[in-house]
Amino acid sequence: PLPWPQSFLLKSLEQVRKIQTRNSELLEQLCATYKLCHPEELVLLGHSLGILQAPLSRCSIQALQPTKCLSQLHSGLFLYQGLLQALAGISPEVAPTLDMLQLDVANFATTIWQQMETLGVAPTVQPTQSTLPTFTSAFQRRAGGVLTVSHLQTFLETAHCALNHLV
Amino acid sequence: ESCGHIRISVPIVRLGDPVTASCIISPNCSKLDQEPQILWRLQDGPEQPGDRQRRLHDGSQESTITLPHVNHTKAFLSCLVPWANSFQVLDQAELQAGYPPASPSNLSCLMYLTTNSLVCQWEPGPETYLPTNFTLKSFRSRADCKYQKDSITDCVPKDRQNTCSIARKHLILYQNMVVWVQAENVLGTSESPKLCLDPMDVVKLEPPVLQVLDMNPELVPRQPGCLWLSWKPWKPGEFIAQECELRYQPQFGGANWTLVSHLPSSEDQFKLCGLHQAPVYTLQIRCIRSPLPGLWSSWSPSLQLRPT
Repeated sequence: PLPWPQSFLLKSLEQVRKIQTRNSELLEQLCATYKLCHPEELVLLGHSLGILQAPLSRCSIQALQPTKCLSQLHSGLFLYQGLLQALAGISPEVAPTLDMLQLDVANFATTIWQQMETLGVAPTVQPTQSTLPTFTSAFQRRAGGVLTVSHLQTFLETAHCALNHLV
Repeated sequence: ESCGHIRISVPIVRLGDPVTASCIISPNCSKLDQEPQILWRLQDGPEQPGDRQRRLHDGSQESTITLPHVNHTKAFLSCLVPWANSFQVLDQAELQAGYPPASPSNLSCLMYLTTNSLVCQWEPGPETYLPTNFTLKSFRSRADCKYQKDSITDCVPKDRQNTCSIARKHLILYQNMVVWVQAENVLGTSESPKLCLDPMDVVKLEPPVLQVLDMNPELVPRQPGCLWLSWKPWKPGEFIAQECELRYQPQFGGANWTLVSHLPSSEDQFKLCGLHQAPVYTLQIRCIRSPLPGLWSSWSPSLQLRPT
């Protein structure tokens, strides 16, 4: 497969770090504000809400397939962008951080999509958002926030390894 | 119903251009003579007759005057008639003159990570003497900035400043956008040259905090003319890969700076030696995004240190 340009890889790594920083900030705020500090305690709820990990199997170092990894990266970012949008209105305290995080994720998705277009591997039609969770309580929305953000953090760690591997 | 009424060809003209005005006195203005001589006064100048006065078919009197060169940026033009030993002002019109805006210049932009906004500033160009609106315009593009993808909401500066701040929600970071300034008044419109930039390439980085370390002599033997330093990157810019440079100079008049380049953006223990020229040295550090494009931060506040 075509090598990815250095500037794309460096920018993507920077974007991953930017989002990870924002992510940690949001997790800290959710923990401090709502005492929801352990995502592992919310796995059951996650299943019922349909908040699952976005797959990045093609980006794992052992089975790295750059082009398919790009596609999974974009789909995952697109999913998390939607999930973050569904969390709007969580609370005034975290809203600013959530807004910025959503923009950063959206911009990273744009970077990936453009690289797919450059490589000629972008689907002809932009993806459409799958059905997003509906929260029936403030607790569900906050817990959904913790889950989404912690999944995103894991997702980004895998992405960071793959990108680092390709630099 | 007032007796007289002024009409002006163009109320706002370019400084030095001519302007033509006419004053019409209605026939049913009973208190005046049948055919009063219509006079004109510019600002507080002398009264002067018009270039031509004639009677219109409806019996009203019209005087026309052309001012060959308007050289007041603001002036009042009055239409009068003689009255007893004085005059009566029948109507007054405000004349304005100025220049169309020149192209704004020196447009530059900085991305502030603390406010998440792209702030652009420019020089407005020479005074126009007329109300002139400046608008920061931009659109998203692709790598080469040739094609417009989608436009971004115009950024209108607050109270006549020559700077405008584009909010984060309008920006796509890591993508190129085109930015320029438009200036507009009644006499014309002009545009600055266009800038093609990725907001992340113009991040306003702040320098790290430079600190001196007090090393335990039992662990680290004292070496004359040395200092132990540490620094951490500016927190909002922590995610940006950077390289830094340190400069130091002995504290006596006319001393030169010595530069230490290509330093990491974070350093827990850095030994700087060779400081024998003076008892006290001044040190500063600055950083730049690297290897991706970026701008140097300012130098950190000076540290006055005494080497071992």
